[in-house]
Amino acid sequence: MDEETDFDVIVIGAGFAGAATAFQLLKEGIEGDRILVVDRSDPIGGKNMTGGILWGRELDAFKEYLGNWEMDCPGIERCINHKKVGFLNNEDALFIEGRFASWDGTGGTEEPSQRSAWSVLRAKTDAWMAEKMEEAGIFVMAGVKIDQLNIDGLEHTSYDARDLTDPSKDSGVGKAQKWKVDSLPRDVVDKIRNGTITGIVQGGEVMTCKVVVIAEGSNSILTRAYDFDTMLHAQSKEDMLLGIKEIIHLGKERIDERFNCFPGDEERPPSGMAMELALSLYREMSHEAWEKYPNTKGLYPRCGGFFYTNEETVSCGIIVQLKSLPEGLHTYDLYQAFKAQPAIAALIEGGEAIEYGSHLCPEYGLNRMPHRFTRDGAVVVGDAAGLVFANGMQIQGMNYAIHSGKLAGAAIGNCISRKDVSAKALDATYTKSLKASFIFRDLKRFKSATKFLNHPSNFTWVPELLGKTANRVFREIGEEKIPAEKVMLKTRKELRKINKANKKGMGFFGIMRLGLLTRKL
Amino acid sequence: MSETQKIGLFKYDVKNGLGLVGYNIDDHEFAHIIVDIKKCDECSHMMCVWGCPAQCYNFRDQGLEHMKFQYEDCVECGTCFILCDQGAVSWNHPRGGFGITYSHG
Repeated sequence: MDEETDFDVIVIGAGFAGAATAFQLLKEGIEGDRILVVDRSDPIGGKNMTGGILWGRELDAFKEYLGNWEMDCPGIERCINHKKVGFLNNEDALFIEGRFASWDGTGGTEEPSQRSAWSVLRAKTDAWMAEKMEEAGIFVMAGVKIDQLNIDGLEHTSYDARDLTDPSKDSGVGKAQKWKVDSLPRDVVDKIRNGTITGIVQGGEVMTCKVVVIAEGSNSILTRAYDFDTMLHAQSKEDMLLGIKEIIHLGKERIDERFNCFPGDEERPPSGMAMELALSLYREMSHEAWEKYPNTKGLYPRCGGFFYTNEETVSCGIIVQLKSLPEGLHTYDLYQAFKAQPAIAALIEGGEAIEYGSHLCPEYGLNRMPHRFTRDGAVVVGDAAGLVFANGMQIQGMNYAIHSGKLAGAAIGNCISRKDVSAKALDATYTKSLKASFIFRDLKRFKSATKFLNHPSNFTWVPELLGKTANRVFREIGEEKIPAEKVMLKTRKELRKINKANKKGMGFFGIMRLGLLTRKL
Repeated sequence: MSETQKIGLFKYDVKNGLGLVGYNIDDHEFAHIIVDIKKCDECSHMMCVWGCPAQCYNFRDQGLEHMKFQYEDCVECGTCFILCDQGAVSWNHPRGGFGITYSHG
């Protein structure tokens, strides 16, 4: 600890979590030239992808470095004051829509007047944040991928970085999966798993530091390889969502008009709309797939749709629960079905797709968190630590990333000044504050929400029943008028005849059980 | 409503979608994903094929007898690494500065 290191702290990943950690370290009094932030993308931000909405004003804590980030950051697109949730089937779309004056943040409302949600485009945002980090004196290196961490008393050449993610020859399937690194001598494996981390290795070159911060994001190789999270392989698909989205260019004026947005002025960013949907679009596609691939017969893909307005473009995409993907269905075709749904097609009409992308989203909740957040000389923050919240009403991850970065920065500053960066000291500060923060309180309170969110009914008959019932109640095509309740019962009866999945889920007890689950949302 | 929409079958032109993204492709010897395609012969589910959003995996769905994998179009999402339970996929991020670059994100 006393010998001189190249840096005090090295942060791997210049996303929100990594940047927040670095800024917080500055606030703790660590010199900027003692902090190194590396990112594998060049330019920074080029690998980042989100839905996405940034919730909450966590960035306000770094005003001294970021200034008026809400107006100045090119990737912060529109302030959300218009939120929709809804149900989509192939023909019908049923929305609950909210427009909230207090979300404009212009004052004069009974509810607290505050802008607290923005649509973001991460490539631009992160590049801008990296600039601000450099302005604040932090070392930022773009285009640097970290292969290995440097471990005290272990030559990094004694194992190959590739071995960490390469299945061994005798690898079993699923839980018995083994990696090449597992078959190395026992003491090497022990060092990799439990040794003191003293820096990073990049292209055979070691850079030493007191604490390494792993902020690699949802697809973190290092957390898996260095035994924070043993789950990031086959069996973790349960809680992994795959997001697929297109950026569709519509032009600013057309978006302002189509979504009734405030165009923005010198004090206030333009306003925008955020929409999240439960999808039941895949009955025919699934049935066709089952015929060819009967292994997964009866499995419907559980997909949610999202649609966010950016300044000149819209982000339109889906998230798929990987566990629910049946054989025979390509994930991108699932996206096409969403895009072609008449209600969505109308929103993007006349637009031109300018980017396609995809990203994993860890929704571990508390059950599948990394089994530790710290090691001697290292901590893990943000998505890499699985800090994502979803309860159906809200999906948040970026604010959790920023907050965990703040907590990590504060803890590391404290530990460095006390000259003790052992796992124990970092646990007593970082892990403790993380567990006391709103992140863990939220995750705990809504622990059982996933049960409802993963419920197959929400992706099969619920959107169909609601959409169809609304359609039949509101229309006038010369039918006998009957009360809405009766219409719903009649629709239910029809849907139950379609297939077994519906029949089972739509029984009296099935509906009761589903209803009871919603209490926890 | 067109005929394909009516019966609810949809195809996304994924190659066209991928054409909208910028890549800096690394040499073959530094391929970030290595697939042991012999193991794929025994795979019964081909989840990588269905999961991959960039159509990097082509197999029996395309009438091929053996797995054909290409890393060039990879969007680095990590889906195949999670879905493969045959121990056939060795996954890592591309070398620094290589691979996909989003300009919007």
